[in-house]
Amino acid sequence: MIARGLALLLAIGLLTVSAQAQQAPGGAGRGAGPAAPAAATPRWPDGKPILGSVPGQPVGGWGAGVTSLPRGKLKEIPFQPWARAVYDMRQIDQFEPHTRCKASGGSRQFSTPYGTEFVEVPELQRMYIMDNGGPNSYRIIYLDGRSFPENLMPTNYGYSIGRWEGDTLVVETRGLNEKFWMDRDGTPHTAQLKVIERLTRTDFNTLRYQATIDDPGAYTRPWTTNDFLLRWRPGDELFEYICQQFNQGPELMLGSQEDVDNTRFFVP
Amino acid sequence: MRSFVGAGAVWLALASGPATHAQHTLAAKFDVTKPLTLTGTVTQIDWANPYVHVLMKVPGQPLPTLWAVELEGGTIHLTNNGWNESSLPPGEMIRVEGFAARDGSKQVSGKSLVVTRTGRSVYVGTNGTPRPRPAASGPTPRWPDGRPRLGPPPGQTGYWGYPSRTSLVEDGVSVPMDAYGLLNNVADARRVAPLQPWALALYQLRQRTFLQRDPMLLACKPPGGPRQFQQIHGFQFVEQPDFKRVFVLLGGGNRNRRIIYTDGRKHLGQLQGNDDNPLFYGLAVGRWDGDTFVVDLRQFNEEFWFDNGGLPHTEQLQMIERFTRVDMATMRYEVTINDPGAYTRPWRSSWTLNWVPGEETPYFLCQDNRP
Repeated sequence: MIARGLALLLAIGLLTVSAQAQQAPGGAGRGAGPAAPAAATPRWPDGKPILGSVPGQPVGGWGAGVTSLPRGKLKEIPFQPWARAVYDMRQIDQFEPHTRCKASGGSRQFSTPYGTEFVEVPELQRMYIMDNGGPNSYRIIYLDGRSFPENLMPTNYGYSIGRWEGDTLVVETRGLNEKFWMDRDGTPHTAQLKVIERLTRTDFNTLRYQATIDDPGAYTRPWTTNDFLLRWRPGDELFEYICQQFNQGPELMLGSQEDVDNTRFFVP
Repeated sequence: MRSFVGAGAVWLALASGPATHAQHTLAAKFDVTKPLTLTGTVTQIDWANPYVHVLMKVPGQPLPTLWAVELEGGTIHLTNNGWNESSLPPGEMIRVEGFAARDGSKQVSGKSLVVTRTGRSVYVGTNGTPRPRPAASGPTPRWPDGRPRLGPPPGQTGYWGYPSRTSLVEDGVSVPMDAYGLLNNVADARRVAPLQPWALALYQLRQRTFLQRDPMLLACKPPGGPRQFQQIHGFQFVEQPDFKRVFVLLGGGNRNRRIIYTDGRKHLGQLQGNDDNPLFYGLAVGRWDGDTFVVDLRQFNEEFWFDNGGLPHTEQLQMIERFTRVDMATMRYEVTINDPGAYTRPWRSSWTLNWVPGEETPYFLCQDNRP
């Protein structure tokens, strides 16, 4: 555990360094602009906070900020025994679906080093959360007041509906499958999972993130994470990252090896 | 509550057409000259895309044999046909008709699947009745400034799908091929496009091997270039005039997203110093020419097939795409392909796409049934 803690600290350190490096003057392209001065939460004409880029200004994105949902309160997490065993095992065996280019829903979107971009489309009453790394894909959050459809087909991103509580966007997601990890630590879940995420842009540069994990399949009661802070990265534009090509562990993915072809069982 | 269907929408039943091509052409894996009938019990269902597999145990001496039945269409098609993961409980006796795998492995394509206890047919391959799809009508929706909208009008949703062609062929050429772009007769290959000799040879090789080595199939590489507009799971445009860009959100492949900038900027490549690497989706610059959205694309890599049928391209590929929404329901797509590395001259291909009102793109992840 100590070694792991050190590794985590190192990882955080590296992330910080990398964020600073990206803001160094002279570096061309995204993330190279000077850090935006601390400013108030930007707002739409109707007064609701803008969670993504501000019209008329350069786009930007949110850096990674959620690596482990139980962070700071592991002892309080109401794991069912099997779930705790899986959690412990995954601290050793980090064979995570995300590293094999699986789209990963819930909080996992916020732990990818390249960050995310929030694309709000008010006239369509929805928001997209665009992955940058990983699967280079997107999650849709409906903001039109709809309710959950019946018989949701379970998917990696699930079905997300958001509503405003004051300045906080509350996003509930159901219809998730078990084919991904919901954070980098492998905090387990089942298909009974409901995630309630609370997103608050407390100032221009900060997004406060908190999740409630409601999964009677893996926990004895719903539990809520500590707050996580995501930092605004001005000028951070989406780019093409194709996990299947650039993944550092392509050998982990069946189908990327020379001897695999589509006559093989379970591979098309 | 879930679907909002635009005014004037009607339901359109598709009598024929490529209802289900999810990934590979049947011939890529199975020998259609070797029909096979099996009877046995269900042991498990692997409910995943691109193919759902039913695992079954066939009695035999001295030991029973385990077989995998591949069902065409994946979870989306089966769900539309009223299936779900628990439709076939383990232990149920079934009779399967299909074709044997080319490599002699214990796999069969499931053309027909019947529960012997009840005689109920739970799967009938591509002969099933396709689910009717909604079709839109009405004039081209427009922005307040008069420009056509590439996406839905405010408050609505929908996506572009059901391309009138599902593989590249030069305009004016008529060559018989299946929905996957597999030619009925490989001798027709030279007519499909103005191929240079080496490119013709490669195209013929890919055709003769039933498109088996397609990187999109084998390793879930993106369907770059015009291919993304010939995928069964469609795509959405999300326009952001405030940010001078248009998102393309794909339904299938690995549900990738990409950006077309409309202010002369270029889509960014890989981070960390290699921005200028050739890309799967190329560098895209869009502009409006009257009612037509024109996209200039270049800097592609060679890691993918830009055509379902396996037509080759090189890093010299440049394309001009023209999107014209002629009415609410119809997008005319035209692409001019200029690749002096693989073709003897620039050439053009065009087709139409249909607006599916009130629906999101189907949810399909190529990576789904990989480990």
